[in-house]
Amino acid sequence: MRILKTSIIIFAICANSTAQTDSTAVEDSLSLHENEQSIPIGFSAATPLIRTAPSMNPDISAIGDFRSSYSDEGPRNLDAYFNALEVQVSSVVDPYAEAKFLFSFGKDSVNGEYSAGLEIATLTSLSLPFSIQATAGRFKTHFSKVNQLHPHAFSFVEFPAVIRNYFGDEGLFMEGVSASILVPNPWDVYQEFVLDVGRSGATPSVDYGAGNRLLTTAQLNTFFDLSENSTIGFGLSGLSGVNSVEKKLMMTGFDLTYKWKPVQYNTYHSFTWQTEAMLCRSDTADGSTVKSYGAYTLFEYQIEKRTFVGVRFDYSGLPMAERSDERGVALHLRFQPSEFQVFALEYQHADPNYGPAFSQVVFRAIFGIGTHAAHAY
Amino acid sequence: MKKSTFVFFAIMMLSFHLPAQIKIVTTIPDLKSIAEFIGGDQVDAFSIAAGYQNPHFVDPKPSYILKLSRADVFITVGLDLESGWVPALLNSARNPKIQKGGEGYVDASLNVPLLQIPTNINRGEGDIHIYGNPHYWLDPLNGKIIAQNITQTLIRLDPDHQVQFQERLKKFNETIDAKVKQWESMLSSFRNTKVIAYHNEWPYFEQRFGLKIVDFLEPKPGIPPTPSQLSKIISVMKRDRIAIIINSMYFKAESAELVARNTGGKVVTLATSVGGVPEIQNYFELFDHNVRQLLSALQH
Repeated sequence: MRILKTSIIIFAICANSTAQTDSTAVEDSLSLHENEQSIPIGFSAATPLIRTAPSMNPDISAIGDFRSSYSDEGPRNLDAYFNALEVQVSSVVDPYAEAKFLFSFGKDSVNGEYSAGLEIATLTSLSLPFSIQATAGRFKTHFSKVNQLHPHAFSFVEFPAVIRNYFGDEGLFMEGVSASILVPNPWDVYQEFVLDVGRSGATPSVDYGAGNRLLTTAQLNTFFDLSENSTIGFGLSGLSGVNSVEKKLMMTGFDLTYKWKPVQYNTYHSFTWQTEAMLCRSDTADGSTVKSYGAYTLFEYQIEKRTFVGVRFDYSGLPMAERSDERGVALHLRFQPSEFQVFALEYQHADPNYGPAFSQVVFRAIFGIGTHAAHAY
Repeated sequence: MKKSTFVFFAIMMLSFHLPAQIKIVTTIPDLKSIAEFIGGDQVDAFSIAAGYQNPHFVDPKPSYILKLSRADVFITVGLDLESGWVPALLNSARNPKIQKGGEGYVDASLNVPLLQIPTNINRGEGDIHIYGNPHYWLDPLNGKIIAQNITQTLIRLDPDHQVQFQERLKKFNETIDAKVKQWESMLSSFRNTKVIAYHNEWPYFEQRFGLKIVDFLEPKPGIPPTPSQLSKIISVMKRDRIAIIINSMYFKAESAELVARNTGGKVVTLATSVGGVPEIQNYFELFDHNVRQLLSALQH
C-alpha cells in the first residue's frame, strides 16, 4: 500500500511538470516569433550557417623532397637527387564520406629512374553508427606507430631500420578495408581499436599472396594526458598474412610515445620519446619457422622555435634470415623556417652483420604548397 | 512488486524529466565563457585551447577527440584560425552532429564585420588568413554577435529553454554595452596613441579602444622577429615617441624587452583569451584586465 501511494505521488510530480510546460506553450511560441523577427534578414534560426570559400574544388597540396648525401660506401660517395614529389587531393564526397588521393613521383634508389605511383586512395565514412569509422581503398596499414606516417612527416630522413627491413623504404600499405571504433573503458581515456583486412604488395616480410589468405592487422591504441603539458600513448599491433613463399607470417608490435610540450609557450620547446619493438614469425617452405625481431628508440628536442635535434637507435633483424641483424644510429638536426619548409642534416651509421658497416651524411629539404591537412598527433 | 524494482522504475521515470545538459566543445575559452553565460545550467562546456595558449598551434590530442565524440555542439572561431588542428580532430570525432554544416556546428564568426580581408593571398605574406583577421572576439561588441550565433544554436537544439536563452542573451548584451562605455571612458584620454605589437592579433581591440598599432615585431605574420625588423621598430619608436609594446601571453618577451630597453619603452603583456591569467574568469574580465593593464602602462 505504501509503495502504491509513493508511486501515485511520483506520477503526480511528473505529470505536473509536464502540465506546467504545456501551460506556457503559447507564451513560448510568441517569444520565439519575436526572436525570429529580431534576426537579421537571411539569417535563420532553423539552419546552421557556416562561413566558407565558395568553391567545390578539392584541397590540393604538393610536397617536394630533395636530398643530397655523402656516403663512405660504394663507388659514388657524393649524390644529389630529387627524392620524391607527393601530390595529395582530398575533399568531402557528400554528407556521408570523404575521399583522399595521394600520388607519388619518386626516384628508384637502385636504377635511378623516376616512376609514378598511387600511394593512397581512400573513401572514409563520416557517419556510421556506433562511432565506427570505416575506410576502403589503399592506405598505410595500421600496424606500428611510425608506419602510419608518410616519409615527409617523419622527423628523421628515413624510417627506422625495422620498418625498412620488414616493410620496405615507404612502409607497409594495404588495399582493403579498415574499421575503427572508440573503445568504451572505465578510465574514460582515448582508446581506439582498428582492424584492417586486405592485401599488401610485395615487401621483405609480408607478401601479396596467391591464395585466399588475406593480410589482417589489428591495433589497439591508448592515450593518456599525464598533465596539461605531457602525454603518453601506447599501441599494441598484430599482423597475420603470408610471406613470399606462401607460408604463414605473423607479427606483433608494441609502441610507446611520450610527448612534452608546455601549453603556454607551445611553439618554443617540445620533447618526444618514441620507442617500438616488433616480433616476427615467418614459416619457411621447408617447414621451419624463422623468428626475428627489431626495435628502435628515438629522442627529439625542440631547442627553440624553429630548430630541433634528435637521435635514434636502431636494431633490426631480417624477416627470412634468423641470424642476420643490423645496428644503427642516426643524429638529426632540423631547421623549419615555417610550417611549409624543413631543412634537415642527418648523420647515419649502420652496422649489419651481413655486410660492411657504412656511414652517410644526408641533407634533406622538404617544401610544400597548397592545402595539406595536419598529421595525426 | 519488489521494493528494489520499484525504486529502479521510479528513478527511470524521474530521469525522463531531468533536463539533459547540452554538451558544448569550443576551440577557445572565450567562446566557452559566452556559451556558459547564454546556456546557464542547460549547458556543460569545455574549451580545447587554454587561455594562455597560442590558438594557431594547438596539438590535436586524442583526448580532445573523445570530448568531441560526445559533444552536441562545437563552436569554432573560424576564419581558418584553427585550420592547423580542428580538421584533424573533427575528422576523427565520429560525430556527424558537429561536422561543418551539422546541426551542432557553430561558426562564431558569422555576421561579424571583418577587418583586414587580404586582397593578395599568398604565403609570401606570411601566415595570412584568407577571410580576414580572425581575432575578432577581442572587440567586446563582437561578443554580442558571437552570443547571438550561439543562442541560435541552443534554441534550435533545446527549444524548451529558448525563453531562458533569450533572457540571458539580453542580459549579456546589456552587460557588454554598459561595460564597453566604461572601458572606452577609461581609455578615452589615450585615443590615437601609437603603440607597437608583437603579432597582428589586435586590430579589433585597436579599433574599439582607439589605439593606433603602427608596426609589429614580427616582420610578417607568423615569422619570428628578425634583427633588421627589431632595429626598424627601435627607430620608429624613437622617432614617433612610441612608449608601449603589446605582447601576448604565449610569446616570449625577450624581443619586446630588448626593444623596450633600447627605446625607454614599456612591454605590456595583454591576455588574448579568458584564462590568460588566473583572475580572468570570464569574457567581461578579459577586457577588465586588458584595459586596466593598458591604462596603467599609458599613465606612467
